[in-house]
Amino acid sequence: MRRRTFLGLGVAFLAGCSLPVIPKRPDPTPEAALGWIRHVDGRYVLSLPRAEIGQNIATALKQVACDELGVGWDEVDLHLPATTDIAHVRATVGSDSVKDYALPLARACATLRKAVAAGRTEGVLTAEPRPIGALRAFAGRARHVGRAMPLEQADAIVRGAPVYAADTRRPGMAHGQVPRAPATPEFTSSPAAWDAAAARAQPGFVALVEDPLLRQGESMGLGIVAETPGALDRIEQALDIRWRTDGSVGQNEIDERIDIDRRLAGGSLSYDLVDEPLDRDGPWDVDLRLDVPPAAHTPIEPRAAVAEFDDTGLRMWVGSQDIFYIRDVMVRRFGLDDEQVVVHGRRVGGAFSGKTICTVELEAAVLARAAARPVKVQWTRGQEYRQGFHRPPSSHRIRARVRHGRIEDWWHGFACSHIIFTNAGLPPWLQRLTDFIGDRGVARGAIPPYRIGRRRIEHDLERLPILTGPWRGLGAGPNVTAIECAMDECARRAGQDPVAFRLAHIEDPRLAGVLRRVAAAANWDETRSPPSDGRGRGVACGIYKQMSYAAVVADVAVDNGAVAVTRLWCAHDCGRVINPDQVRAQCEGNLVWGLGMALTDGLPVADGGVAAETFAEAPVPRLDQVPPMDIVLVDNGEAPTGAGETAIVAATGAILNAVRDAIGIRPTRLPVTPADLLRSAA
Amino acid sequence: MQLRINNRVHAIPPAWRDETLLATLREFLGLVGAKFGCGVGQCGACTVLLDGEAARSCLWRVADVADRDILTVEGLAGAGGRPHPVQQAWLDENVPQCGYCQAGQIMSAVALLRAKPRPNDAEIDAALADNLCRCGTQQRIRRAVHRAAARS
Ligand code: FES
Ligand code: FES
Repeated sequence: MRRRTFLGLGVAFLAGCSLPVIPKRPDPTPEAALGWIRHVDGRYVLSLPRAEIGQNIATALKQVACDELGVGWDEVDLHLPATTDIAHVRATVGSDSVKDYALPLARACATLRKAVAAGRTEGVLTAEPRPIGALRAFAGRARHVGRAMPLEQADAIVRGAPVYAADTRRPGMAHGQVPRAPATPEFTSSPAAWDAAAARAQPGFVALVEDPLLRQGESMGLGIVAETPGALDRIEQALDIRWRTDGSVGQNEIDERIDIDRRLAGGSLSYDLVDEPLDRDGPWDVDLRLDVPPAAHTPIEPRAAVAEFDDTGLRMWVGSQDIFYIRDVMVRRFGLDDEQVVVHGRRVGGAFSGKTICTVELEAAVLARAAARPVKVQWTRGQEYRQGFHRPPSSHRIRARVRHGRIEDWWHGFACSHIIFTNAGLPPWLQRLTDFIGDRGVARGAIPPYRIGRRRIEHDLERLPILTGPWRGLGAGPNVTAIECAMDECARRAGQDPVAFRLAHIEDPRLAGVLRRVAAAANWDETRSPPSDGRGRGVACGIYKQMSYAAVVADVAVDNGAVAVTRLWCAHDCGRVINPDQVRAQCEGNLVWGLGMALTDGLPVADGGVAAETFAEAPVPRLDQVPPMDIVLVDNGEAPTGAGETAIVAATGAILNAVRDAIGIRPTRLPVTPADLLRSAA
Repeated sequence: MQLRINNRVHAIPPAWRDETLLATLREFLGLVGAKFGCGVGQCGACTVLLDGEAARSCLWRVADVADRDILTVEGLAGAGGRPHPVQQAWLDENVPQCGYCQAGQIMSAVALLRAKPRPNDAEIDAALADNLCRCGTQQRIRRAVHRAAARS
């Protein structure tokens, strides 16, 4: 292995020049898959090719491996690999882990099984093609696939054993923190003055670190290293940093720049998703607006990393959806070789698309290099809000004409900030280039799965002064929510039951299937008379990424503007189910997220950036807000897809439609608040 | 100075006396079950028991709990490592998604069941509402508490 010891500041400057590192997205190959499963001393080791972020993919893929190898649950050991253990795999995003990794893994296991049966227990195998019908895990003879199994790592979790990045402890480890200006990283900011002497005088002081690599976005931080976490706080106080910041932004600016009606008044929007000729003037039967604010991912685990340099290079322990991307960033920024950087992926304490870029990891590595000691950095909750990226705000206008019980014209215009081409990763000049092709994350889910006469679906993209990017389901949550609200109004206009009205417009039989199933589970009554006691019921459905299907029924009770969701039903079809219990768990999680979208999620913007410091300013659903949930799994044997982000597309819409049913008011802004509802009622 | 944790006494050197109980458990003693989620008492990820009552370890200074009985999630298991009934209920219900909040949830549930051996849903909601879970495991948490109550 080549060694480089010249990790001076000058080199860092060159190596660390600010060209963004773009994540690679290799597809899993049969050869790569052979590296995920090994036979060692009579046992099998599964090197998980996906990040374990709470979807319990380790359990699902182990089920596939056990069946294909023909071995018992206890004969396969799980290993969360480092970047040097397996071939490069792409980020764990987009609910594609089962869809794209289960089959390659099964094929690799089949190859290994054959070799072991033939007495070959050493050496490297070559991949053999195998049709899905030849795979035991999917052939209906499975002992593990299709059942609930004990969750991998659950025992460690309930006993408090170390499984997360921040649980890592290294000999001689110090603690680090990188304070930054309380402003959005979109504005140029840096420390202008600080009291270094007072900081050094604090017990536990280890180092102050100024390094160009501590710039994130346009925000330059000042690094602190200390012996204990508490000393970090005392040192930061003593430093009394004065910040220089070159911009300011408040809520009004965000609202104005994203305001869909302002944009439509200025003419067509920039991106046409569907452009069928329809009359944009003249009366509409349905004309509704929905505004969705920025929202944090709010994993309960603030991002954390441990970094350690030695003479072979850099070792890291991270909680990331993309350990290879972290590796690539380190390689570029520190001028190292791929094999000199070893990134260990640990269980991630909630990610939701938020732990996809490199932030705290680079801070930890810079501080570890400066202090010449292992360093752990975990962001504060305030840093998560101020320095993380968020669900983009979006603003929707949907207009429709209904004739003879059918939707004839549908015009959906919306404005949103970037998602896939996030401003958290791309500087403005590069984003101007990506703007030529648009942003598929923003467009996700915007085309309704309904038979409609003429459709015009268009949107704008706007780089905002706050950081926005992927958030569970990307654009699908807000887009389908807006669509499902409009569908509800169209059904009303047509004088039809909302389930029957949707069924009459649905093209895809699997979507109709989940809608029928959820209606049956909830005893949907087409002849029900409108309620009068503040109680209401709503329905919504949708398709996620053209692969998974969900329909949701929500019951609510509205009292003086306060909305309580009293029960939720969900029918879900993601094809062949590997672990029904965990598909249910994902549905439950998505329903709670949908409830959050409807009732809690939002982030205030003020004083130059996201102005939340604690959960008080950015609440998430609490136990007492979560109602009983009934999940119906539909499995007609189609190829397995994904469940991580499906039901979110229907949950929020069902709740909003239930509010409309209960009190006759159509919510136009998320989250729904008592103040807004009471104002609309007045 | 000493701390009594899980029925064992640990000497705490001066450098850690001004730290939070959470930081000391995790970083000095290596008891990493309690998690950092907010540092200001709002999420419950850091929950431990102080003299049998649920407490947010991020809010307590080590020097202030020297004479208390501290129980962490690592100290719940019985003889031979047999899971505590609450831990077992969490395993039986497959509660954890990411799992980061769960040690705190479990400790709050243990405290609740000590005070109210047969809680109803409303009592569970009231006792655990300040233990946040972003993954959406709330329904299973409720079920697991009932299961543990039925068993003990
Ligand atoms: S970390 Fe203690 S309550 Fe959140
Ligand atoms: S299981 Fe992830 S936060 Fe609760």
